[in-house]
Amino acid sequence: MSQREVRSIGTAGWGRTLTAAIISLIYFFPVLFIILTAFKSRQDALAWPVKFIFTPTVTNFVSVFYRTTVEGGEAEATGFGLYFFNSLFIGGSSVLLALIIGTSAAYAFSRFPLKGNETYLFMILTTRMMPPIVAIIPIFVLFRIFGLSGTYVGIIALYTAFNLPFSVWMVKSFFDDLDRDIEDAARMDGSSEWKVFRKICLPQVYAGLAATFVFAIILTWNEFVFALLLTGTQTRTVPVQIVRTIGGSMGVDWGLMSALETLFIIPVVLVTFALQNQLLRGVTFGTIRR
Amino acid sequence: MPAPRSARGFLGWLLAPERRGPLLIAPAIATLVIVNIFPLLWSYGLSFFSYNAKKIGVPPRWRGLDNYVDLFTDEDVWGRFQNTAVIVIGSVAVQLVVGFLLALLFAREFPLRRYLLMLVLAPMMLSLSAVGVFFKLFYEPTFGFIPRLVQTFTGEPFVILSTPVKATIAIVFADAWMWSPFVMLLVLAGLVSVPKYLYEAAEIDRASAWRRFRTITFPYIRSLLLLALLFRTIETFKIFDVPYVLTEGGPGTSTETISVYLFRVAFNYFQTGRASALGYIVLFGVIVLTSLYLYAIQSRSSESIE
Amino acid sequence: MKGLKFSIAAAAITAGAVLGGAFTAAPASAKDVIINMAAPDWQPTRFMQEEFNRTYKSKTGNNVKLVIDFIPWPSFYQRVAASLSSGEKKYQMIVTDSQWMGDFVEGGHYLKLNKYIDADPELQAVIADMHQVLKDTSSSYPYKSTNYYGFPQFPDNMVTFYRTDLFCNAKERAAFKAKYKKALPCYYHEWQDVDWNQWGNIGEFFTRKKGSALGDGKADDDFYGIAYQAGKGYDFSTSQIHTMIWDAGGDIWDETDTKPASGVINSAVNVKAMEQFLDLLKWSPPVAKTGQMDIFVIQDLYMQGKVAAIVDWVGVAGPVIDPKASKVADKSAFAQAPGTRKSDGTINRSSNIGGQPFVLTTWNNDEVIHEALDVVKWWLSKPVQTKFVREGGGQSGMLSVLNDPGYATWSPFARAFADNIQWQKDMWHIPEFFPLLTQQQEQFDKAITGQISAKQALDSVAAYQDKTLKEAGRIK
Repeated sequence: MSQREVRSIGTAGWGRTLTAAIISLIYFFPVLFIILTAFKSRQDALAWPVKFIFTPTVTNFVSVFYRTTVEGGEAEATGFGLYFFNSLFIGGSSVLLALIIGTSAAYAFSRFPLKGNETYLFMILTTRMMPPIVAIIPIFVLFRIFGLSGTYVGIIALYTAFNLPFSVWMVKSFFDDLDRDIEDAARMDGSSEWKVFRKICLPQVYAGLAATFVFAIILTWNEFVFALLLTGTQTRTVPVQIVRTIGGSMGVDWGLMSALETLFIIPVVLVTFALQNQLLRGVTFGTIRR
Repeated sequence: MPAPRSARGFLGWLLAPERRGPLLIAPAIATLVIVNIFPLLWSYGLSFFSYNAKKIGVPPRWRGLDNYVDLFTDEDVWGRFQNTAVIVIGSVAVQLVVGFLLALLFAREFPLRRYLLMLVLAPMMLSLSAVGVFFKLFYEPTFGFIPRLVQTFTGEPFVILSTPVKATIAIVFADAWMWSPFVMLLVLAGLVSVPKYLYEAAEIDRASAWRRFRTITFPYIRSLLLLALLFRTIETFKIFDVPYVLTEGGPGTSTETISVYLFRVAFNYFQTGRASALGYIVLFGVIVLTSLYLYAIQSRSSESIE
Repeated sequence: MKGLKFSIAAAAITAGAVLGGAFTAAPASAKDVIINMAAPDWQPTRFMQEEFNRTYKSKTGNNVKLVIDFIPWPSFYQRVAASLSSGEKKYQMIVTDSQWMGDFVEGGHYLKLNKYIDADPELQAVIADMHQVLKDTSSSYPYKSTNYYGFPQFPDNMVTFYRTDLFCNAKERAAFKAKYKKALPCYYHEWQDVDWNQWGNIGEFFTRKKGSALGDGKADDDFYGIAYQAGKGYDFSTSQIHTMIWDAGGDIWDETDTKPASGVINSAVNVKAMEQFLDLLKWSPPVAKTGQMDIFVIQDLYMQGKVAAIVDWVGVAGPVIDPKASKVADKSAFAQAPGTRKSDGTINRSSNIGGQPFVLTTWNNDEVIHEALDVVKWWLSKPVQTKFVREGGGQSGMLSVLNDPGYATWSPFARAFADNIQWQKDMWHIPEFFPLLTQQQEQFDKAITGQISAKQALDSVAAYQDKTLKEAGRIK
């Protein structure tokens, strides 16, 4: 398993660090701004010039989960607990399923190429490249026919298929990277194919599987179009509710919106850091490794 | 999974070594056929009918090729394709330039590089809808950051989303901000793949920097730039969340991309048959682009084998 | 309170029924009945949920729970349409915008209630107590028929929100008088003489640059005179444009639904009315230029003290007088919205009605229907409606409440609402309304952002309406 840093050509000194820091901070500014706004009171959030020094408050974060909706009323749960759970549960189960089915296919594509291997791989990738809105038109109607709208089963099945092409291509790329000599030696020694897979190949791609898992979770976590049309009141995910929260009746509450966004993106930003070495492969669905 | 050679009958036949590949792939193909391919075939059928998904009792009515004919002669459809094309061309061009420059900045190792890279790479991992919301807040004409910043210099209110051109630029800006790091990653991969000895040889030849770039570096990043171009073109072609959240396709319909339009036809106008037909036209475009992309991938890998 | 018919008998029956019901003994086996209700996310529905949780007890002894799914306005129709057509059968009740009636009745989703009304004197009393305008617009389909499907959960209309610290400021009043030879409206009765032209004068008068004098102080930021809805989402320009078309004496279609729209919606009168609508946007905050100035944007701008007066739904007025949400909570007042002055000097204030009926869905079993209708009776009973008006910042469509001598004083906007109600009309209730609305919103948005003229927009709307109505077989 090749765990490479994002590699470089030669070195540069602190001068480059300074330039890069300024540019990176400007680049990151929109995200930073949202995170800062999340900790501001309503008046601070709208203040101009922008306040970079202010008394931080966690009110907005509390309001994400509990807030009063009627003047003088009691704070009530907003349902975001459920939506965060849904995002994780739906994402987690569909990715796990996709990974199991996908790893088996990826191993086969890598080790036992079929006639027309490339065509199958192409077909699989196409289902992923297709605009979701194209896929959703028939799925929307079929879900109705089979009573799957607004159910966990329906949305998890859909996301499994959504994550499958990604899993196949990603995991295949990891299997392709392996040094074949060890396997071949094992086969010579009379190991069964199962044993070769289980004892030799699989352990070598654990890190890759983990990376694939996390990537797919992020893709699902971020997914909006399918969720917008196919989740019901009980299965709604976070992105749908975020977009639904703008245009609520309490005016545009920027602090609240920012707090929501912050909760939604912070896990992703942190995971991005952990995954830095696999990013290239991940964002190109495993089609480009180096 | 093991294939006991002694096993007899159907099971033995099924588990024979030559069926190993198909057997392992079958679950994946089955899933995709059930959840993706079958619905698509079904909507292919629907694309020849007039059908409203909202009217449960009313059966589809046969229209033959009329949906397609209507679409190809509809100015609105062409307008949406044009909107999409403008956004794709603008955004991908900006991504290539900015991504390339960022790659040059990060090509060398320097202190804290890994951490600064994280800041730059973060945007592309965010949700498209979240980015739409970000920029909706940034562009808001009275309280938004960008209009206020501009106003401190000009003294005039700055309204970004007021004209088709400016609204398009606003979307391109948001999309390019998000995806330039993607191009950077690919270009970085190309830059680091240049063998060191080539540079050393050039050093000895005292080649100029431009010449070194053109003859040594560029050939190594060329194929990756092409891949970046194709990949981003496919992805930007599908752009939905950002305009849906940021402009609702406005002003008027000037930033309504083909995906947003498809959404409207399917779920506002509920012309399910027509939407299916348009979906197929879009799908055809994506298939062509994806084949080009895979072709480029293959020629790159055969290049590097040479 | 002109034009309101009063029915003490109906009120007494309703109140009596509710009281009587409270004493009905509970049967031995209490069941859980959950009523899922789709509703727009705003104060009137939030209040209903709270009040229900606080006080509701089912007469049958069942354990009835009302679970409201709060959906933001801009995506309200799409969500409900998606849910209904997806067949998930999620909702037992729906707070529905009035113009959706035809769409979902024809779609087989909304339950016709005549059978239940005929069998239930309490429901008959409720119907009798409803204002005629609401029976027409919110309860029946086809429009103005006696096929009942719903009851007004929340009737709404558009009123003026204005800043008393500016409009009642002596200096400003004198300056306005000198410039326009008319009174700057401060009191309710003065607003009743304001037409759209004077609304424009107000816009011009109060649009001030940052740092210039405003009221007793200075404008700390650019300040704008007026705003009304002009947004692309949902019906966020249609409601105002229809209003101004009707005010000018025009019509939005042939209400008999048998003649083409061409010549009606794009008549010369309508083009002029829409041109006035577009012209007045120049005194609005810059967001007007984006075509995204919807009912919540203007509400927020008003609450943040960026604009002197707005015309908006009573439904969004609650937060405006809440000091936690609004900077202008203690200096806001409400009046009837402007209209167009006719040749005889009176003002035509016809307006597009808002507000929503709530309906039952067709897949409910008898038990749910029974409980849901009890919820309807509870909500429309005088005590609950009165409390809603007084505390929820809401309105009532029930005559027994509207005609109460104290009604006008129960909330700051109650009087404007009540005076407006007789002027209300509604847009098309036909099943094709959403395509009509979406296409119209697109064209209006183009006009608002200056890409096409009012005439071009209305011509395009007329052509599309004709095509749609023809395809639906409504006109030849």
